[in-house]
Amino acid sequence: MEWWKIGVGIWLTAVFAVALSFPIVPEPKHWYEFPVIPGLEERARIIFFHVPVAWTTVVAFLVALWNGVKYLRTMDLEADAASSNSAGLGLLFAVLATVTGSIWARFSWGSFWNWDPRETSIFVLLLIYGAYFALRSAIESEERRARLSAVYAIIAGVTAPFFVFIMPRIMTGLHPGSRGDVQGSGPVVQFHMAPNMLLVFFAALIGFTVLFAWMMEIRLRTSRLELHFMNADSEQS
Amino acid sequence: MDFYKFLSQNSLYVVLFVVLIIWAGIYSYLFRLDRRLRRAEDQVEKHHHER
Repeated sequence: MEWWKIGVGIWLTAVFAVALSFPIVPEPKHWYEFPVIPGLEERARIIFFHVPVAWTTVVAFLVALWNGVKYLRTMDLEADAASSNSAGLGLLFAVLATVTGSIWARFSWGSFWNWDPRETSIFVLLLIYGAYFALRSAIESEERRARLSAVYAIIAGVTAPFFVFIMPRIMTGLHPGSRGDVQGSGPVVQFHMAPNMLLVFFAALIGFTVLFAWMMEIRLRTSRLELHFMNADSEQS
Repeated sequence: MDFYKFLSQNSLYVVLFVVLIIWAGIYSYLFRLDRRLRRAEDQVEKHHHER
């Protein structure tokens, strides 16, 4: 087993332990105390889980884009497998971000779904990548499927950072970090977070990204085995 | 006994244990899946050389 796979286990365990055990107090005096963010209180801890998951979504969609480009340049079916596997993982993380955000919204905004700009944009993103898999399953020919979905993954991948990072930030809304949100939430986006929170936050981002890389590697190796057996089958027949 | 009392007064740590148990489960699943996959790859490789 590669060292980084064991490392990510220890790393994320430490992140989870710190994220959930450091007390949130009005005036932190020790390094192990998080400051209260007005309006968020204990719910601020979601930033160590929900935000890294949303971040991983974008990373996954960009990896899908990159492998789409790679497929169009090399016409290598392995790049197509990488692209679709990455888009699949991105969709999984997007669903997790939506569900966790929705639960959080129930207790912060009073309703599971408010059609806040942030919620609307992730909804559109889910539709875009849902359509990607509808497109893939509709095409029989492997090469044709690979080519069309590569083009789709590139166009969709370009929209992903816009929907996650830009759109919800230039509009006024309920989500922390929306335009006009001066209290509590602003610091999250402008990185005015308390240094210890910021450290745990970035540690979580790194941990989730490496976890994604591992999941991606497992899926890729499975696809490689499938391709191997498919080629062996076609050689026999 | 005191430990239970502590937990019932600080429910955050109950959540912490729940999260850590879930994480341990998911992690060991991934770990074992990776190992099984490695074995399958090795067999394919071996088979490939034998042919």
